[in-house]
Amino acid sequence: MARVLVAKTGLDGHWRGVLAVATALREAGFEVILLGMATTEEIVAAAEQEDVDLVGLNVGGHIAVVERIIEGLRARLPDLPVIAGGTIAPWVVERLAELGVPSFPPGSRLADVVTAARNAVGESTKQ
Amino acid sequence: MEKSASGIGLKGVYGPDDVRCGTGSEQPGHPPFTRGAYEEMYRSQPWRIFQLSGFGNPEDEGARIRFLLDHGETGFIMEHDRNIADHLYDVDHREVVARREDVGLVGAVLLSVDDFDTVLQGIALDEVYAHPGGGVVQHGPFALASYWTVALERGYQLQQLAGTGQSDFFLTYLGCITKQQIPPSVGLRLNCDIIEFCEAHLPRWVPVSIAGYNGADSGLDSVQELGAVFANSIEYLDEMQRRGTVPLERVAQRVGGINLRVGLDLFEDAAKLRAARRIWSRLLRERYGITDTRASKLRIHSLTAGSSMRYQQPLNNIVRGTIMALAGVLGGTQSLGVSGYDEAISIPSEHAHQMSIRVQQILQNECNLTEVSDPLGGSYYVEALTEALDERATTFTSEILEQGGFVSALDSGWLHGVAAENQLTELRDIESGAKRIVGVNVATEDDSPFVVDGFQGSSDAWERGMERITALRAERDSHRTGDALKALDLACRSNGNVMPPMMDAVASRATVGEIGGVFRAAFGDWNVPIRF
Repeated sequence: MARVLVAKTGLDGHWRGVLAVATALREAGFEVILLGMATTEEIVAAAEQEDVDLVGLNVGGHIAVVERIIEGLRARLPDLPVIAGGTIAPWVVERLAELGVPSFPPGSRLADVVTAARNAVGESTKQ
Repeated sequence: MEKSASGIGLKGVYGPDDVRCGTGSEQPGHPPFTRGAYEEMYRSQPWRIFQLSGFGNPEDEGARIRFLLDHGETGFIMEHDRNIADHLYDVDHREVVARREDVGLVGAVLLSVDDFDTVLQGIALDEVYAHPGGGVVQHGPFALASYWTVALERGYQLQQLAGTGQSDFFLTYLGCITKQQIPPSVGLRLNCDIIEFCEAHLPRWVPVSIAGYNGADSGLDSVQELGAVFANSIEYLDEMQRRGTVPLERVAQRVGGINLRVGLDLFEDAAKLRAARRIWSRLLRERYGITDTRASKLRIHSLTAGSSMRYQQPLNNIVRGTIMALAGVLGGTQSLGVSGYDEAISIPSEHAHQMSIRVQQILQNECNLTEVSDPLGGSYYVEALTEALDERATTFTSEILEQGGFVSALDSGWLHGVAAENQLTELRDIESGAKRIVGVNVATEDDSPFVVDGFQGSSDAWERGMERITALRAERDSHRTGDALKALDLACRSNGNVMPPMMDAVASRATVGEIGGVFRAAFGDWNVPIRF
């Protein structure tokens, strides 16, 4: 069973979206580790300790914070895929795509998130 | 069978047999206030145009507030940075430093009373109606004390000030759960301290405002929103009855200013405001024996559902905002906030904010909506909805009381479970097409020439905050600040009211993070009960 770490990048505590996505991933067969609000160091440490196949980031804030987390993950776990969701402006969706991170703004279908998660895990070297 | 947004079965047409009591002999401004809080309603006073605003540096927030007031806003709500305010962290707290670029994106960075003073430059504090922030419970005492201290330092008397606090349990413990937060039982204590302090010093101030909005936008339906709001008010009334420090009629008047969400089920949402007033009037009479009309007249602030604003085809949201606003007006709201059309992307741009005001001005000036009170009164359908909401919400209040009361239902995670289940059902219904949304799963082609990029605000809010806090710590009388924080700590650990020492701490230039440090040491953290 593929393992996915789900974390919030910011300190904005709106949780309904991230819980819905985590629930959908679990129902789709993923083993979900819900980390909550976490810093770069905490996310990287948890990804290593939990030996996850995928990281899902709930993005609510500035792209620079997300970029720092992605850099931190890639420095330690270069093959670990990342996907993102949240209140993501159209230009941020494009920027994340350039970084190889598929992202899902409001109005995205949970089924599409699950598909992207499956594809990401399929592409990772662990599978 | 077709259903309303909260699950009330709907017939194809309604008639006299569908209404049990109706409101035939009722008048607005008289118990049970179903038809309105005031006799003349909008003929005597239009609803207050009351928008959330704030981002970046204190100067940015002040400029936006003055922009909104210049464009017709008749009260203002200060929005604070969530990293700083909701958590009571200073800008140099490690959790904030780790996310420094986020700082200022969704609210202003207000670290001390001096920053409040900067925001409020050019505003005559005896002439405005203010909501200084403090939506999150642990931030309420600091935000209120800071606003009041600015006024005192400018030579105003506290009794001259008009406005509202919030300190909302729905936001704090259900909708927007922070990394660190004082437990709900402590929140109840602080809120009752604020009620006592306002009773003693601020006759024109609403001390706390129960915001069902935050429950509804976290997943509660209209029935559950109403039921939970009154379960919350019962906590305040019971605790203040136990304290015995303020006459209960006065407490009821103080907490009888609430906040509800108005959504897109036009008639149900209008009926919700009618039902809310009726339930409050009956609750006070039956549970507390209060019949004083100043107390039993519920005043309502309405806010359009942010979660109904869509990312796709964002200009459509102007229409959605208008319809939701209309629900509040038809229901007899006292004040109204309309979400920005860019709500699903960012905090409002200046233009989106202006549009939220223009929507309200069109409703006030062009639609003849202000001349007749309770225009839906006597509609078989609306009266039936009002009765159904009243009955079902009252049942939901009883269910919460069976859980041990509102605070227990939050502490146990029971209410979170209800909200999360609704939320997932709604997402699935949108995905399956059972719930149709234009631009999302209906009419998805978009030829709009307008691009809505999302408002970014200022990029130096964290750096500027670091500069201010460094200077403040160097310049203030640190002995005075230290003594004031010690006195606050003592009050927190005793049964005393925290507000007088909070006023002293704020006046001594204690920072938001230092006050948070006192709270964390004295009260500890809430154990968040969200199950997964």
